[in-house]
Amino acid sequence: MDRKRTALTVAAAGTAAGVVGLILIASPAGANEAPPTLPPVSAEALVQSVIDAKTPALAGAVELRNNIGLPIPGLPQGSSDDELARVYADGQGRGRIALRQGGGERTFVQDGTTTWLWNSSDKSVTKFTSEAKDHSEEKLADPATVARDLVELIKKDSTVTVDGTARVADRAAYQLVLTPKPTERTLLREIRIAIDSETRVPLRLEVLANGQSDPALRIGFTEFSTGAQDPALFTFTPPAGAKVTEGKQEKSSEDKGELLKSADLKVVGEGWDVVATGKVPAALLSAQIPQSGERGGPVDATSILKKLGKEVSGSFGTGYVISTKVGTALVTTDGRVAVGAVPQQVLIDALGQK
Amino acid sequence: MTAQAAELVGGTDTLVVRRAPLGRVLRSELRMVLRRPRTLVGLGLLGLVPVVMGIGIAIATASGETGEGDAMAALVMGNGMLLPIFALSVAVVMLLPLTGAMLAADALAGESSHGTLRGMLMAPVGRGRLLAVKAFGVASVTLLAVVLMAVTGMITGVLLLGGDGMLTASGTSLPFGEALGRVAITVVYVALQVWALAAVALAVSAFTDHPLIVVVVTLGLVIVSGVLSAIPALDWIDPVLVTTSWEAVGEIVRDPISWSPLIDGALRAACYMLIGGSIAYSRMLTRDG
Repeated sequence: MDRKRTALTVAAAGTAAGVVGLILIASPAGANEAPPTLPPVSAEALVQSVIDAKTPALAGAVELRNNIGLPIPGLPQGSSDDELARVYADGQGRGRIALRQGGGERTFVQDGTTTWLWNSSDKSVTKFTSEAKDHSEEKLADPATVARDLVELIKKDSTVTVDGTARVADRAAYQLVLTPKPTERTLLREIRIAIDSETRVPLRLEVLANGQSDPALRIGFTEFSTGAQDPALFTFTPPAGAKVTEGKQEKSSEDKGELLKSADLKVVGEGWDVVATGKVPAALLSAQIPQSGERGGPVDATSILKKLGKEVSGSFGTGYVISTKVGTALVTTDGRVAVGAVPQQVLIDALGQK
Repeated sequence: MTAQAAELVGGTDTLVVRRAPLGRVLRSELRMVLRRPRTLVGLGLLGLVPVVMGIGIAIATASGETGEGDAMAALVMGNGMLLPIFALSVAVVMLLPLTGAMLAADALAGESSHGTLRGMLMAPVGRGRLLAVKAFGVASVTLLAVVLMAVTGMITGVLLLGGDGMLTASGTSLPFGEALGRVAITVVYVALQVWALAAVALAVSAFTDHPLIVVVVTLGLVIVSGVLSAIPALDWIDPVLVTTSWEAVGEIVRDPISWSPLIDGALRAACYMLIGGSIAYSRMLTRDG
């Protein structure tokens, strides 16, 4: 009897300890902590301090949660907390971003004079000299820049408030909330930005759509620490056997210019209900797209649109509406396109304004 | 046999049990496991896996194919020191769990089906000590399998694919010494993960007399975990699954290494070992001869 009791105790205690351990690993640090107490700050002062702040020497891990309902090409889909990138900066303009791509990696290294772009899947290195930096990619991966630009842009059409504090990546942070003014016709409810109380670096950006409690899009640090970084992180030597190409920024921007001209891009409206309209070449709509799967032959773009979107018709003609939680896109059969973080009707109005 | 190792010295009034020295018991257990033909065949086949992979990748490189698909496979071309890590990252998904399950099945259920476990349980040997010796046998042969794969992988990689250092996924080149360190980290991490699964297998093994059941249950656990982690709606369950830790092997080829997924994976393995070990121990205590 005694032995049986010991056996049961051991089994129960061991299993319980193991399960508790597993749950502890699963729960993110600081998830249930009370929000930190910080001295109150006005929204304007907070925004100002963010704009004034210089990026300090830091190391961090960035995570992206995309709950929009449509995959973003090149970015992980779903709500899993997959690490997106690791970011390092030395505080003097040099930095390193390691962007994950499955088991591989794309690395951007800015060593002060040159930006190196490494892609592990084909072992290629692209080199950009100082002026020709690939800004768009850097901005995409660096929440600091994303949030800073947004604050400046959106302030005139939204109410900006400081809504308490939060703990992000184990750092005390202010929560800056941007709410669209009531006149704005948008699908978005609010944008929340957590700003580190010490360095004033934006730590997290959350986009919340109407009628949703969970953020549709969240990008932010999961690990964040300041302090001097290993200088070796900010240098890059192309490894033996890698293809090195000089990045030619001018040519590609020319190409882009021509593409823009033919696309006839226009921006209608301002603030939250801004709508981008344009044209896609009719050839693209009937283009044959090879299917990624092994079954079936190539499909034309229109049938993909039919699958993804809902057919609508009105004064603008006939088109397909693709709606997600944070935005809507309308593609008409004659190749006009309108995209915005707005309901369908606003897109139709925008197309009608031409 | 461990049972024979316990020596009895009987007095007239008191019964003094003198234990055999632990080292001798462990050695004899190891010798017994390694004498089984299936263990040797298994080890040999595992050692061949990196060789076959290396030959395949060398042929692909020679014929100018670009390694589309697996990101790490593309990186292994001309980068021999990465081959052991790549081979282990592939083997940890199925081959090594299978090996761990087989060893754990033989350790208790196998002995039980031969009727030899009864003798050990009857002998005046602590049940905990018996389990510990059995667990040691499973753990050290698993480690041997992992080390063997790493060694054959390194030899094949350096001979067939070349490269004096290691090219990481981050595009940096590591000198040979550091590359060796990365292989060592992989060996430790992968061995821990297989131990976690083998501990669960050992718990199952303590309950049944049929070794096949142990293998089936363990592989079932692996497959079910894989299916659960593939369902997006069940993402919240991911952090507790054994299979989640296996993905972190890829972290080792990045530079600088981000340690947190590896540490999480190691802790997760420790939790599974604790659960498996304590259930196996409690079953051994109550099991009658």
